[in-house]
Parts: sequence; structure tokens; C-alpha cells
Amino acid sequence: MSVKAFELVPAVERDLLMGDKARINIECIECCGKHLYVGTNDCFIHHFLLDEVTSAKGKLSYSSQKLLHKYLGLKKPVAELRAASALERLIVLCDGIVFLVDMVTLETVPSAAGGGAKIRGVAAFCINENPVNGDPFCVEMGILSSKRRTVQIFMVYEDRVQLVKEVGTPEQPCAVSVDGYFLCLALATQYMILNYNTGASQDLFPYNSEERRPIVKRIGREEFLLAAPGGLGMFANAEGVSQRAPVNWSESVIGAAVCFPYVVALDESFITIHSMLDQQLKQTLSFRDGHILQDFEGKVILASTKAVYVLVPLPLERQIQDLLASHRVEEALILTEGAQRNIPKDKFQILHKRILQQAGFIQFGQLQFLEASEHFRKGQLDVRELISLYPLLLPTSSSFTRCHPPLHEFADLNHLAQGDKDKVLRCKKFLISYLGEVRSTEVANGCREDVDTALLKLYAEQDHDSLLDLLASDNACLLADSIPWLEKYHKYFALGLLYHYNGQDSAALQLWIRVADGDLQDPTRSDLYEYVVDFLCSCSNLDLVWQYADWALQKDPTIGIHIFTKRPVSKDWPQLNSDDVISYLGKHVQAQLLYLEYLVLERRIQKEKFHTHLAVLYLERVTMLLSQSPIDEAQLSSARDRLQALLRESNLYRVQILLGKMENCEQLLLERATLHGKLEEHDKALHILVHKLRDFRSAEAFCIWASSCRDSAYQQQLFHLLLGVYLDGNRPGKSQAAAAAAGGDSGDLEMAAVDLLNRHGEVFDAVRVLRMLPEGWSLQLLRPFLGRAVRASVHACRTSQIALGLANSENLQLLHDRLKERKKPIFVSEKKGCHLCHNTFSEPDVVCLPGGVPVHTQCVAQRVRDSPTKRLLTNSTNHT
Amino acid sequence: MPEASKMKKPDVKVVLLGDMNVGKTSLLHRYTERRFKDTISTVGGAFFLKQWGPYNISIWDTAGREQFHGLGSMYCRGASAVILTYDVTNWQSLAELEERFLSLTDTAHHGCIYAVVGNKADLTDSKAQLSQDSDGVSEDQIQEEMTKPQVLSACPTPPASPASLSGMSLNKQVTREDAMAFYGRILRYKGLEEKGSLPAEKMCFETSAKTGYNVDTLFETLFDLVLPSILRNRNENLQSPTVDLEECRGAGSKRARSTCC
Repeated sequence: MSVKAFELVPAVERDLLMGDKARINIECIECCGKHLYVGTNDCFIHHFLLDEVTSAKGKLSYSSQKLLHKYLGLKKPVAELRAASALERLIVLCDGIVFLVDMVTLETVPSAAGGGAKIRGVAAFCINENPVNGDPFCVEMGILSSKRRTVQIFMVYEDRVQLVKEVGTPEQPCAVSVDGYFLCLALATQYMILNYNTGASQDLFPYNSEERRPIVKRIGREEFLLAAPGGLGMFANAEGVSQRAPVNWSESVIGAAVCFPYVVALDESFITIHSMLDQQLKQTLSFRDGHILQDFEGKVILASTKAVYVLVPLPLERQIQDLLASHRVEEALILTEGAQRNIPKDKFQILHKRILQQAGFIQFGQLQFLEASEHFRKGQLDVRELISLYPLLLPTSSSFTRCHPPLHEFADLNHLAQGDKDKVLRCKKFLISYLGEVRSTEVANGCREDVDTALLKLYAEQDHDSLLDLLASDNACLLADSIPWLEKYHKYFALGLLYHYNGQDSAALQLWIRVADGDLQDPTRSDLYEYVVDFLCSCSNLDLVWQYADWALQKDPTIGIHIFTKRPVSKDWPQLNSDDVISYLGKHVQAQLLYLEYLVLERRIQKEKFHTHLAVLYLERVTMLLSQSPIDEAQLSSARDRLQALLRESNLYRVQILLGKMENCEQLLLERATLHGKLEEHDKALHILVHKLRDFRSAEAFCIWASSCRDSAYQQQLFHLLLGVYLDGNRPGKSQAAAAAAGGDSGDLEMAAVDLLNRHGEVFDAVRVLRMLPEGWSLQLLRPFLGRAVRASVHACRTSQIALGLANSENLQLLHDRLKERKKPIFVSEKKGCHLCHNTFSEPDVVCLPGGVPVHTQCVAQRVRDSPTKRLLTNSTNHT
Repeated sequence: MPEASKMKKPDVKVVLLGDMNVGKTSLLHRYTERRFKDTISTVGGAFFLKQWGPYNISIWDTAGREQFHGLGSMYCRGASAVILTYDVTNWQSLAELEERFLSLTDTAHHGCIYAVVGNKADLTDSKAQLSQDSDGVSEDQIQEEMTKPQVLSACPTPPASPASLSGMSLNKQVTREDAMAFYGRILRYKGLEEKGSLPAEKMCFETSAKTGYNVDTLFETLFDLVLPSILRNRNENLQSPTVDLEECRGAGSKRARSTCC
């Protein structure tokens, strides 16, 4: 609970003052620089020179040397002593008289005016430390009269005193302090503030001065410390307002002083020290026969009846360290921050940071991670201090050494946790989250490698998911240091990522392949093989691709081929030469096929070589399947579908080669027909389809396919060709095939012809068809065809009529528009006359002569008839 | 002497007054630390600085004990808001407010506002038992009460309530109406017109520091109400005839004691 804020150091021992004279007591003291004056009850003033001596250990002590002592000759105790160093005078109160003595000789100063610089009837006096008078060789003094209820303000000069003001008080004052114009007074029953300039007063609070000795202590500009009822130390400013919470003293406080940030108070047997920052009692020192406690220019001096002591404040840093040593983090921080104004800014910042860091470590040791991280952050802790607590986390190459003096008491995490595994785990989890937070901030500047490597090690050890994220993103993990660690925890996949990040793709691949092959165990990715394929797919080093493609293809050609087929196509990415790939894939037939499919079907590369190669491969596969027994129908049909689709859709492969390859194969007639179609040998194709395959549907489909990119005339020609084939085959004796076929066969062709006509009637030229058809066919048989043909013809007729009509009306419209643009309307009315016959108009129909002159139609006709040689241009329009 | 640290200067002052054990410190704790903890009897006083928007509000927690009574008027000096706190289970605590504490507010700022707060509502009111902070003031009911003509006695007599004396059950001894009547008497004591002042239903609260019931509402309502006071204070300071010595402080401040050795 206690802080060691002060140390009590003896200054003047009893021997030096009164020796063994038992009745002599100290009455008052004054200290001015090194000069200490002591007033005794036997009317002596003793003058000492006080020297600070610091021992080798840094311990402070005082050596005092007696310079002089002087009997004042009044036989009464010296009640008060005050130095006015600028005047080289001591102001002395003795026997109710204030007078001046020389600071050096202690001789009474004779008055310049002869009357003596003396004030009589004085109960107490005080010096204004914040004087309103600008004269540096003059001291302002407040005096309480022992008889009257007044306060007198005097100016003290070298050899005289001058009364400048006298103010009355409502009661007899017994203690006074002054600051500027403000007197702070303890009256018999209360404290008050009195402005001696304006006479304005302000009651503070009641206090019985008979019961307890009042204390009125100026502690700063317009602020006073007062002893209040209940043993309180109250603060009050000149306005009568308390701006700080009170401190809790004992009831019998004799004296008090402020030595920032502490309030020091003396009672009969103790010195108590409270903090002004949190009002808490910080230190208690035992002190018997305490008599006087006063502060002189920041130095707190105490006296018992026989000896003088100095209360030496310990250096702030030491106090803070003491607090930290007893784990009182909050108090240490309050003290540090409270001292901010007393320390130069840059020095404070360094101190504050260090205290924050130490506080953080204390809380860390108590596993209060939230608070600890807050303090680490605020204190801008070098994270390596924290990392270095964890054995082996810092890379061996790290140049870090812990700061000295150490920020904490822990050797390492094991020391901190004392074998508690749960504690270790929690600390590790904290470090993970803390490093994760700071690694991207400026705290990690300059030690990014250490931070990232430590984080990697923790992730690996704790089997943390973020390991992969760390490695996949921008990081500074040190490879050499991480390898053994990752291997230890079987994080081979992660290690591969790190190799990759460091540009060692080959090492990464070797490692991954060993994992994929089961030589090494790392369950991180069950789809590592696919990952490797993806990796090769986007690998910019083509040598690596060639090196490891073999492995991938052997393992699974359908996925392995992705290396070549899924490669991103982009100009600035190294590309593989397709020809090289195809030749490389020579030993992986399936993969080669997939690759060609990729080139031809997916990328639509228009190269004869690939198309032919793919077609040949398809064909080979079909032939292979055909040669098997039993034939796998499903596979065969899918293989044939692919072959047929390619044959139909590609125009680049070399038809003759393929045709040559399947010439003898009677099972691939459909394919042959397609090839013939490609060569525009439609008769051969149709012959195969109709006579060999007897597949009339396919024949029709062939016609549609073969004419798909051509005009309707070409299509018509093809259909007529097919119809011809049907009908020719129907004529006995004409065709070999038909001859070979039986009677039922010719019926089939006939029906096919009928179906063809009925289904695709609109394609045919009906007239030509009717000429070709055998006479004997019934009308009923061809009814759908004929119906459609007639309808098509009528439709065509009407369509053309509509088109004609529309064209006419468009023309008319254009004429109208032209007229409107070029001419104004021509008005025709019953009152207007015709220019030719001079009769009025009775009908709206008129003829306009050039120049827009309307005339009767019959008049124009008359005129034209009358002069046939003349050609008149007329525009006939209706205008109303 | 090292110069005392200059604290962040508060713009406005709020003071908690009330008899001992009514829960002033607990109220402040609940508001500032968001929790209820055991407190010991406050010695002298304590204060807390609250940042409210751009302003600093100092909240003074005073000691309720008779011994420290004399200090009250000093704490109240220049206050912009005074929170008069009583214990809803203790009639005497309301009576004490009127007898002892009201006169302490004489030193407060002339535009000071007053809130009458009945703490420990969780002991009597189920509504206050769980709620962390809900505004459960039923306005109409209050309006009704206010329109009733009321005989304003100087000190109302406590209702007979033997149960509370036995300590067996904690009956509500002070109703909200009693508090509002007291508020009316505060205005009269201050010589303020009821019409021109803040209405009683707005300035009387029942709170529970234990559950947090109404605590935030209390402080935040007050802070919002004292904002005009802050602005006024700032304006006054601008025109203040007092010379700020801190600003004028020059070389001459330490003349009297300038040492030569």
C-alpha cells in the first residue's frame, strides 16, 4: 500500500544546537538556500550552513556547520523567522514584536528613521510570495495583530517597514497566508478569503480554532491548503472554490506542505504523505515530538523540539519503480502522468513510455492481456522484448538484445508460467493476437523479419489457421530459420509456400510432390495434387513446368493436363508452344487428346494440323473401340458422336487423309458421308446414306447441314438431289443397289420420297417436283406437300402484292413531302376563277399549272387537245 | 515549491448532496465505472472529471456525514447543477435534504439547476430491479399530480410506516409526489417562479445505483441542461475584469524570494 516517496534525513543534530541543555527547544526554523536559521525558546537564533552530501551509493545526507548564534535579548522564545534574501534581512517575531536582523551578522538593524524597524503587538505574520508590488527590494508582509481584529499589510525594506493597508476582520484572526491581494485567514470559527485591496470577502467553511490549530498554507498561485473538520486537508482557491478533492489526515495535524505531487502533513507522531493525484495515503513515517513542518523553495524541513531534519523526496523514477515493483500499475501510471508538467517534454516521453512498457509486462505476467496490450501499444514497446520471452521464437540471426535495465523480471515464459501449461498456452495465444495486430503497424518497423518469423513459428506450433494466410500474403519470414521449425511440425505445405515466396519454386514443388506421393505426412491439404497442378499451371518458370508435368500427368492425365489447358492466356505471361506440348504429350495419349480438344474446341485455334490430328485421334479411338469385343456401346457412341461433331463442324482437317483411313471401314458410313459432304460430293454422300445406310433421317439432316451456310437455291438443289436419289432408286433396273434390293426396298424409298416432300415441301420447286414424280402417285399421298406448295405460292404472291402496295404508298408519301417542302399550298375556293376559262371552281379536283396556278381539269384537257405540240408539265394534287 | 499541476480546467460543476448512506458515491460510481461496488463512507469529498462533448464537467461527490457538513457550501460554490439525493426507503433522508442541505446551495451559481433524486429504487420498485437504464417515467400521471392544489408545508410529516423501522421489509417511504412537492419548495426557497423554472416531472428522478436504473438518464439530462450554463460562463470569462495572472506572469513573479546564494 505504501510508496517510498520521501526519506527523512537528519540535518542538525541535538548536540549542535543545545547540547545537553534539556529545557531548550526549537521554536521556529527558516531555510534560505544553504542557510538554515533556527530560533529557540531561549531567544537565540542559530545560523547553520547546510551542505548536501551524496555518498558513493547515491545516498543523500546533510552536513551542517554552525556559523553563528545570537541572543536577541528579549528572554522570550523566537516565534517566527523569515528570510528576505534580496534585502539580506531576517524578519523575526519575538515577544509580539517584529524586527529585522542582518542575515549574516544577526545584528538587529537600526532604523533609518531612528525609531527602529519594529512592529509591535504582532500575533503572527506571513510573507507574500506572489507580491503585487513590483519592487524587488521590498517584501510584502501580512500581520495579525494580537489585540485588534485587523490584518495589516506592510512593506519591508532594508532598514524600515511601512504600513500600506489595514483591513478589519469579523473575528479575531489566528493564522494567515497571502497571495497577491488575497488573504486567507483562519478566524476563530471559520476560514475566509479576504481581498485586502477591494475588501471583498468570501467565507470558506466553519472551523473551530479553539479545538484544533488551524493550518493556512499557500500552495500555489491563489490556492491554499487548509485544515478542515474531520481531519481533512482541504484545498481552496481565492474564489472560495475547491478544485481538488480533500486529503484525509488525522485530527491532530500540526503542519502541512505540498511537495508535488504529494501533500505532506505532520502530526504528533507521524509524517503522512498523500498523493494529490488520487488523494490516497502513500507513505507514513514515524516521527516523534514533531513540532514544525515547513517547505522552503521545494525543500521540506521538519523539526522536533531538539533536532532538524530534511524530508528528501526520492527521485520520481525511483518512486515509480517502487510502485511497479509492488505491481501497483495504476498508481505508477497516475504518478508518472501527474508529473508530466514537472519534467521536460522529451524526458517525460521516454519515461512515460518505459513505465507503460513495464506496466504492460506486469499485467502480462498477471495474464491481464487486454490491459497489457493496451500499455504495450501506448508505450510503443519494441515487440521483440515480448517475443524474446518466448524461447526460440526470435530468429537466430536477430540482432536483438533486451533493453537494460530490464523491463520485467521474467527470464522467459517458462519462468513466468512456473510449469503451468495452461498459462503458457494463454501467453502464446496472446502473443499470436498481439503480433497479428502490430505486424502491419509502424511498431514492427525495423524488426519485421523477427515479428513475422515469430508469428510463423507460433502459428505452426499452435496449428493455427492463419499460418497459410501469413505465408500467402506479404511477409518477411526468414526462410533459413523457419525451415526446421515447419519441418518439426510437419507443415510441409506451408514450407512449400514459404519456398515459393522466396522464389524457390523448385524446392517447393519437390516438397509438395513428396507429400502428394505420401512420402511425407501433412494433412493441411487433401487436394495437394490439384494444388500442384494449379501451381504449375500458373508457374512462370517453364522449365519447372516441363520438369514436373510428367509427374502430374502420370498421376492423373485428366487433371494433369490442366497444367497446359488452364494456363492463363496473357501477353506478359510466358506461354508454351502448342506444338512442343503436343509432341511432349506423345507418350500420354489421353492427355494429348485432351490438349488437342482444348486447342480445337475451346480455344478454337484454326490450324489444320491440330484439327487433323484431333480428328485422326478420334478416329483411332473409334476404330479401337470397334475392334474390341464385346463392343462397349456407350463408349463407342460417345466417341463416334465426338468424331462426327468434329467432322461436321470443322472445315480445316484434311478430308482426304481421313477418308483414306476409313475407306475400308463399313461401320463408319455416316462419317464417310459427312466427309464426302465436306468435299461437296453430295451425290456420293447421299448415295451412302440412302442406299448403304438406308438412313433417311440422316440423309435429310445431311441436306440441311450441308446447305446450312448456303443460300436457299443451294439447299433446294440438295433436296432435289436427294429426291432424285430416292426416285431413281425406285426405278427398277436403273440402279445397281436398287436392283439388288428386293421389292419392299423400293417401297421404302418411295415412302421416304413422299415423307421428304411432305416434310420439307417449302424447299422444293413444286413445278419441277411434279414433273419428276411418277404418274401413278395419288393426290392423297402428296396432299400435305401440295397443300403447302399451293399455300406457299399464294403466300408469295400476296407478299409481293403487299410489297408493291407499300412501295407505292411510300412513293406517294415521298412525293407529298417533297411538295410540302418546295411549295406553298394552293388555295382553291368557289370565289376563285380558273385562269383558262375564268369560271369559278365547283369541285376540289383541279390541275395546277407550273407556278401554282389552279385550273379546271377539263380546261387543261381542252388545252392539251388544242395544242398537241406543247408539253405541259402538270402536277395533279388535291388541295382543299 | 514546484508549481502545482494545472489541471484540466472544468467548464462546469455538478455537486451531489444528500444525507449519509443514500448512495451518492454509488451513483457516481455507477455512472463513471458502469458498475456497482461496495463503497465506504466518503471522507470529505471526491471528484470526477467527465468529458461531455467538448466540455469538461466536474462532478463532486460530497460526504453526507454531519462532521463534514460545513464543507458543503464550499463544494457548492459556483455549481451549475446540484443533485439532491435521498433514499426512497428512508423518509428522514428527504427531510434532511430540506433541513440541512438546501441551505448549502446558497453559494451555487445563480442559474443553478436542481435535481431531486430518490436512490435505491430497486428496493421498492420491480421496474428498477432489472433495467440497466430505461426511461420509465409516466408523464400523464405526473401532470395530473401537478395540477392538484397542494398544501406546501415546510416539512411534511412522515407517513406511519412501522415496517421500515423493524427492517423486515423495505417499504417505499418517499413517493415521487413527495419529491416533486419538495422540488416545488426548493423553487420557492430560491425565490424562483415555477413557470420560469424547469418542471418538477423533469427534475425528479428515481434511480438505482445497484441496477443502473435511470442513472445515465439522470446525469445526461443534467449535462444537457447545464450546457447553456457552460456557454454563459465562457462568455462571462471573456468579459471578466479580472486580470489573469497566469497570462501576465512574467519575470517579476518570484522577486520577493529571489535568492542570492
